[in-house]
Amino acid sequence: MLEARLDQAQMLKKVVDAIKDLVQDCNFDCNDSGIALQAMDNSHVALVSMLLRSDAFSPFRCDRNIALGINLGSLTKVLRAAQNDDVLTLKAEDAPDVVNLVFENSANDRISEYDIKLMDIDQEHLGIPETDYAATITLAATEFQRICRDLSALSESVSIECTKDGVKFACQGDIGSGSVHLKQNSNMDKPAESVEIDLTEPVSLTFSLKYLTNFCKASGLSETVKLCLSHEVPLLVEYGLVNNSYLRFYLAPKIGDEE
Amino acid sequence: MARVTRSKPKPKEATPEPPVSTVKPLPSSASNPPKLFVLPKDASPDARIVTLENPANGAPSRYFFCPQEGFYEFTRIVAPKKECRSWLITGEESEEQEQEENRIGAGYITKSADLFVATPIDLLFLLLPALAPKTAKDTKQHFLALDDYLDKLYASSRHWRPLTSQHSSLKTTIEKKLRATCDTVDAGDETMYRLSNDKLLAILIKKAERMVKHGLPPSLEERFIKTALEVPVMNIKREDSSLSTISISEESTENDSQVSTTTTAESQTSISTAITTPDTSTDSSPKSALSTPPQIPHLLRLRTSLSYLSTSYLPPSLHAPVTTHAHTSPTFTPLATHLSALASLRTEAAALRSISDNMSRKRAIEEDDDRVFEREEKKRKKEEEEKKKKSEGRAVKQLKKVDTSGMKKMSSFFVKVAKKT
Repeated sequence: MLEARLDQAQMLKKVVDAIKDLVQDCNFDCNDSGIALQAMDNSHVALVSMLLRSDAFSPFRCDRNIALGINLGSLTKVLRAAQNDDVLTLKAEDAPDVVNLVFENSANDRISEYDIKLMDIDQEHLGIPETDYAATITLAATEFQRICRDLSALSESVSIECTKDGVKFACQGDIGSGSVHLKQNSNMDKPAESVEIDLTEPVSLTFSLKYLTNFCKASGLSETVKLCLSHEVPLLVEYGLVNNSYLRFYLAPKIGDEE
Repeated sequence: MARVTRSKPKPKEATPEPPVSTVKPLPSSASNPPKLFVLPKDASPDARIVTLENPANGAPSRYFFCPQEGFYEFTRIVAPKKECRSWLITGEESEEQEQEENRIGAGYITKSADLFVATPIDLLFLLLPALAPKTAKDTKQHFLALDDYLDKLYASSRHWRPLTSQHSSLKTTIEKKLRATCDTVDAGDETMYRLSNDKLLAILIKKAERMVKHGLPPSLEERFIKTALEVPVMNIKREDSSLSTISISEESTENDSQVSTTTTAESQTSISTAITTPDTSTDSSPKSALSTPPQIPHLLRLRTSLSYLSTSYLPPSLHAPVTTHAHTSPTFTPLATHLSALASLRTEAAALRSISDNMSRKRAIEEDDDRVFEREEKKRKKEEEEKKKKSEGRAVKQLKKVDTSGMKKMSSFFVKVAKKT
């Protein structure tokens, strides 16, 4: 029996919105520590990992480990019926055929209830080790989104070069080239807008911009985004959620066609 | 032959009355409606309807037994579905019907227009289940005394015992039949019997010959003889190609429908399957010039009636010896060669057909169940994929177009683990 109550439906709405374009069907693995999700895109070069800890729900009850195989398209359709401020309750039996979603509007006592049919999804699960990254950049999520959007107008890929001076996003395309350079700075008034760079050694990697812009759909979830880079390992783009929950994206670097 | 197996008004006895008849109508309800029987004219007053084991399928079936004339089986004649549906049974003679109804009281209308005709059946066939080995594999047969066989009969249907005890003549007839079909061994003053396939075959062939002598019924003749021996018209011989196309497609339709139109239902169906082999193999013949040797139709008729006999009257365990005989014995060799000659030409004609006539080639493919299934599967998969494609959003499609060259798969960075849940 699973029963998880979210005070604000918008969190789940946004999470699903952010990943539904990357993966179509995925298992929501529920256990007593929370609800986790791991899925790869069709080409298997990017990976989404989400964890909503039990603390994010009130209350959270999960007696047995359950995998809820859900089509994200269907989930989006149902979540569209929820308003951002609705109280959302997820329910499922121990061996469920359906997952039940209840949206309660506390203001006008409106309760809507939906069942989504579950599916059996056979996905491989990857173990992601804790990695000490060579560079960790924290910046405003909107800033990162803007950079990706702007540069994707010029090129398909962006090189992210991190030195102790700062971080440089650069691209080269048919119509020309462009770059955005960010220096480390701390904004006391608006801490979210500060740029923090934690560097152990300089790195320079190239990534697909199309994927990065896709990741940026999660920008509404968090004010800041954390980019972690190391040579020869996937880029980690992390959006922190409440109570140490997170939404992480991994993207394989482009190797061999750097310019 | 669909034999009536239930709901026959039990107390009914064959009236010795001349032309036939005897339906003792039940009050009025439809639970056990009267049935129309055509019974033998000169049946003795002792005649009975008995329930005996059907030799072909072992099901208990009704037979008409007359101590003098022997056994009769019932053949149900069913009016075509669309035509007259009921009998009006009255006390008077009704002009149209070929038999008259004896009727007490006012008229009665039976719902079903079935007519049960009693036709003589050789006692031998009724004995065969007791004589034949239980299964086809069980080849080792023992010599048994007449009484042992009678016991077997009693065990199969309980009507046998009263019949044999009441009519002593029956016992002697049975013994005569046994002598005709069995190898015998004298043990003391008792004679022991064992079914002899050769003797049985000889009898069957005699019966078949008698059946053929006056020609097969038109429906059988049409289905199994004419069609089977039809010489296909080859394109080469014809100047007008469209004509030849027609003749070929006609053939294929004939080939397809194998359900015979004879009055009988069940056993008939099984016959048609049994005869499928000759039927298909004959279908085409070498050039339109190939002539059918005069003895061939007779042989094929013989074989057809043999398999008819075996499917409708022989226990399953006896089918194999009969069919092997019908296919291998020297008598039938000319037939076999002729049929194979036809078969080889048939493939030729089929090949030609597939080139010249696209329609029939399509049909040939469709007839192949496996391929149909495969195609359906493919189609289904394709549709599923298309549906999936349609359901995915624009962004997903765009992401598919992304150039992922130089990007390694996630699994090359992270190790696969077994799922914990």
